[in-house]
Amino acid sequence: MQLIISSSPHQKSELTTSKIMYQVIYALIPVVLVSVYFFKLKALFVIVNCVVSCVLTEGVILRLRKMPSTLKDGSAALSGLLLALSLPPSISWYAATLGSIFAMFIAKHIFGGLGYNIFNPALAGRAFLAAAYPKMITTWVMPFSLSAVTGATPLALRKFDHRIFSSIADVMLGNIPGCLGETSALLLIAGGLYLLLRRIIDWRIPLSILSVISLISLAFYVINPLNGSPLFHLFSGGIMLGVFFMATDPVTTPVTKKGRFTYGIGCAVLIMVIRYFGGLAEGVMYSILFMNAIVPLINRYTRPLSFGR
Amino acid sequence: MINTKEKKNPQHNSQTSKFFDVKKLYLPLSQHTGKPSCACVEPGREVKEAELLAKSDGLISAYLSAPKRGKVASIVDFNHPVLTKSPAVILNCLEGSKDYTRQKGAGSFSKKELLEIITRSGIVGMGGACFPTHVKLSPPKEVDTLIMNGCECEPYLSCDYRLMLENTEGIFSGAGILGKILSVKQVIFAIEDNKPEAIKKFNLLVNTKKSDFPNFKIAILKSIYPQGSEKQLIYKLTKRKVPSGGFPFDVNCMVQNVGTAFAVYEAIYFNKPLIERIVTFAGGALKKPKNLWVKIGTGIKELFDAGILEFKQDPVKVIYGGPMMGIALDSLEYSILKGTSGILFLTKEEAALDEESNCIRCARCVDACPMELIPSEYVKKVKRNEFDLGSLYLNDCIECGCCTYVCPAKIPIVQYIRTGKKYAIDN
Repeated sequence: MQLIISSSPHQKSELTTSKIMYQVIYALIPVVLVSVYFFKLKALFVIVNCVVSCVLTEGVILRLRKMPSTLKDGSAALSGLLLALSLPPSISWYAATLGSIFAMFIAKHIFGGLGYNIFNPALAGRAFLAAAYPKMITTWVMPFSLSAVTGATPLALRKFDHRIFSSIADVMLGNIPGCLGETSALLLIAGGLYLLLRRIIDWRIPLSILSVISLISLAFYVINPLNGSPLFHLFSGGIMLGVFFMATDPVTTPVTKKGRFTYGIGCAVLIMVIRYFGGLAEGVMYSILFMNAIVPLINRYTRPLSFGR
Repeated sequence: MINTKEKKNPQHNSQTSKFFDVKKLYLPLSQHTGKPSCACVEPGREVKEAELLAKSDGLISAYLSAPKRGKVASIVDFNHPVLTKSPAVILNCLEGSKDYTRQKGAGSFSKKELLEIITRSGIVGMGGACFPTHVKLSPPKEVDTLIMNGCECEPYLSCDYRLMLENTEGIFSGAGILGKILSVKQVIFAIEDNKPEAIKKFNLLVNTKKSDFPNFKIAILKSIYPQGSEKQLIYKLTKRKVPSGGFPFDVNCMVQNVGTAFAVYEAIYFNKPLIERIVTFAGGALKKPKNLWVKIGTGIKELFDAGILEFKQDPVKVIYGGPMMGIALDSLEYSILKGTSGILFLTKEEAALDEESNCIRCARCVDACPMELIPSEYVKKVKRNEFDLGSLYLNDCIECGCCTYVCPAKIPIVQYIRTGKKYAIDN
């Protein structure tokens, strides 16, 4: 009888890293479907392009680094999907591919690969495209338009034209110009709630971001309704995608409980500062990336005392 | 704190049986925390059941009595799950068993007499830690709350549950004796809600004996792991936090396992030393998992040779204790000790043999840690050979295994922590 010796515990949960990744991917399927419904083949092309580019890039890098293939864990596919959802449907194919390569190569593997990256790869990829193709990434098409009828996002209208245009219903359902995944706030919330219920993501970050954004925007709304109502701010732009799917990325968020609140509050404040006072209409991406950068600092200063101290 | 896969059935719901018809007993002299006992018999000597085999040696040590009539074959090194090897008395058993009759006047013993009997009976903590009970019962500070631990939060194990069902009165009386020795203000029976039958029985006893034991209470706790851990249990029941590095008596509490209370009851009322115990034999590799009363020192292999236990398939892991904190054995050549709550025979599917992958910093270990530590940090440091772990409260870790249980990357976190602790001791 051959017996295995190992350190306790001898029982473990069934949850694995790849199950987490796939659960997040499943939670995004409704969003993918509705983006294809609104933006037709354009959306599908961007999504397939990003997912395939990310997986291929990771495959090549793993081969070059002589590491065992971990493509099946779904993390590269998820990054690709998230990147695609953060891009406008009209983006050109080479830009989407380049963004994917940047996300996997620079943002993820240069730092050491899965679990070691400081920045969320999808957001880093998007930030790269925002710098490389600033025009392309702020050109939006109207939903259902097959030709390139462009329009401005509700947030851009608020910022630069000083008017609140879209109805809250359109903003919630996604019947507005915007990124693929910016469009249907309701489905993003549904996906986020699913992940919360399945305990795939922690509630602290979404709760703190959403409540702080509500508070700040309410205060500004009371001062001047043209600043946009809390509902307008919560449901427009990348908030829901960012809150439930990017700001909760385990790798790039604090491990301490207090730290997760701190991080969420920081994200929310930065988002609103950019929206109200910055040069850009929307600030979810830069806020999360900035908070990513200071995660080690947050972890250090929010370390809990152990039980009984 | 985590929800484990309990897997307590079917052993949970079936009557305990006995196996005392053993041919040979292997009795390590280290069956407790502290100094090994000092053998007071020599090879060739014939001993009666319950006769003293080894004496307590030093302040923290324990007595050991013969579980059966027999002839001492030798005193040699034998396998020990914690120490690898320990000198052990090997006893060739002879026919015959002893009858224990109820002692008269047991109720009127003084505290000193009670402690004396407990010492002589070689009773140790039966929950697994095996700390000599007579030492624990002489705390340096006043204790006002005695908690009877009937949580049994480890998966698979159900020996405490069966004992609580089948010997409710004994445990109750034993707790009464412990309470008397300590002069406590209250005795709380802590039982998890996955043991409704036991809760019912204790409720009945507490209510019917209210006049004699007015300060006995029952606390029904949600079943969660590690509920039975001393510090967590005390906090849950009394909201008192045992300070880091401190002991339960620092917050005027004491936790005793229900099995210990039963052993005390038998010692005081029947003058029977600790020579038997209930052990859970479970796991997917067994044909019929069960709880058995066995003699201390019974070899695991003999249980199979005698046909008491049967394999359905070969196990890949044999665990001494529960699956969360138990020790993996390298063979069946081990014996039942005073603190053995279970022996598990796990199949490949049960044994959690996943390979370690990258930490994704998901902080599940942080959320699960009952000691509010950051387990992932230790892994990172130990992997980099950085052992400045004192500032990270490494020694507060109780090695309950929650972090490793929940880790989606399947990192053996507790193993890294043990490496870190070992390094700290060696340097």
